[in-house]
Amino acid sequence: MRNAIFILTLGLIFATAGQAFAAEEPQNVIKYRQAVMKAIGGHTGAIAGVVKGEVSFTGDVAAHARGIQEMSKLVSKLFPKGTDNKMQEKTRALPAIWEDRAKFDAAVKAFQAASANLVRVAEAGDPAAFGGGLQELGKACGGCHKPFRAEEK
Amino acid sequence: MPQAVPGGGKIDTRLVTRSPGRKACGGRPFIWAAAALFHLGLATLAAGPAAGAEPAVARGEYIFRAAGCLTCHTDTKNKGAPLAGGRALPTPFGTFYTPNITPDPVHGIGAWSDADFITALREGLAPDGSHYYPAFPYPSYTGMNERDMRDLKAYLFSRPAVATPNRAHDLKFPFGFRFALWPWKLLFFTEGRRIEDPSKDAQWNRGAYLVENLGHCGECHTPRNFLGAVDRERRLAGNPVGPEGKKVPNVTPHPGNGIGDWSKSDLTYFLKTGFLPDGDFAGGAMTDVIQESTGFLSDEDRAAVARYIFGLPPISGPGAGP
Ligand code: HEC
Repeated sequence: MRNAIFILTLGLIFATAGQAFAAEEPQNVIKYRQAVMKAIGGHTGAIAGVVKGEVSFTGDVAAHARGIQEMSKLVSKLFPKGTDNKMQEKTRALPAIWEDRAKFDAAVKAFQAASANLVRVAEAGDPAAFGGGLQELGKACGGCHKPFRAEEK
Repeated sequence: MPQAVPGGGKIDTRLVTRSPGRKACGGRPFIWAAAALFHLGLATLAAGPAAGAEPAVARGEYIFRAAGCLTCHTDTKNKGAPLAGGRALPTPFGTFYTPNITPDPVHGIGAWSDADFITALREGLAPDGSHYYPAFPYPSYTGMNERDMRDLKAYLFSRPAVATPNRAHDLKFPFGFRFALWPWKLLFFTEGRRIEDPSKDAQWNRGAYLVENLGHCGECHTPRNFLGAVDRERRLAGNPVGPEGKKVPNVTPHPGNGIGDWSKSDLTYFLKTGFLPDGDFAGGAMTDVIQESTGFLSDEDRAAVARYIFGLPPISGPGAGP
């Protein structure tokens, strides 16, 4: 009996937790997703300093590449329905994300592939290949920002 | 695939020697930066014509990239063939449709002589003597030297011909009257090849040629008056209604409104990769320009662009940098 009550309580806790997740405030999701994007931008900004020769931390680029790759796995779920810039404030996510989800998913895939490739070339320590990997990564960012992010006001 | 391209694959050592970190850390960052940049240069050449191609064609491809012909003359949105035209350019004066510039003899420019081609770029005149609208940026291309024009034509004529018919422009009254372009040209168009400024060095002059003529940056980044002429007083100071009705940023070295707080290497890196100094990746029309044009330039040429841009007078408003 005790066990049954225990399991029931546990189930209830999880159920409410799940509820809370489903009812997450759109503004909080937007804030979180922008923070993730900023983290990605932080890594690319840091890489730029190394590639431009402004700093000597060449050993760090692989860590930054891995950071981007980790973040790339989160991107897809950051865009639940109801968080576009028509329905919400303080976001530049265009409704096109949900209108053409297949294209958006393809942009996410391309981003994941480009960041995985960047990790590979960074870990191989081959600066020449790294330059090409960076250009490919840029294409992946642009390939999503151009169709799916509103321009700055 | 190395080619006879001016400055192709050269390393912009300025980017590297300028760096504050270099003294403290010896050669490593130099190797990284140089090799990464070097590779970008090579990668851009990999898409070029087959080995053993005519030098004029190979040179012409570089001019073609620097002049950014592809983005406007291809209707990417509707999956149009490269250079077959048809891309809509909505402007305050109506919608322009770019023409087919493949070597198709009927619908493209395949029947043009070298002289026809040069007249189009230099004078803004079609082979039948009619005037072009300045949506075709001949007010910039007019400054090109003749060799670049000829090589550009050689490259275009090496591309596949596509028989896509041209689409008529859809312009608002009274801009549909082509004869009105003659007084327009008298007022606003100065024909002629760029003359180098002897008081400036070669890099500055090359930068001026790339920015003002080949790259035609001002066609989007400079505001236009109510008759569609660029406002020379506000050169590159941003355009509140650029192509596609969008705001185009101020790229003069003004610290608040332009890119005055960027370093030269911020700009060359941006023109090569598209990454902004804060690590963001802009997604506007400039993305295409980087991927189809400035990303293909040699590091030397991008450095020349930065040199020229940061030597411009800083002009305030409208809007911040890209
Ligand atoms: C699959 C789509 C996608 C990819 C790939 C992508 N982004 Fe984004 N990014 C977005 C969207 C959508 C926004 C706008 C989010 C919002 O405002 O809610 C954004 C916003 C940003 C922001 C601004 C965050 C803020 O609000 O301050 C930065 C910085 C950024 N992205 C950097 C990058 C970089 C760098 C890359 C590539 C390495 C990249 N992004 C790849 C979709 C993407």
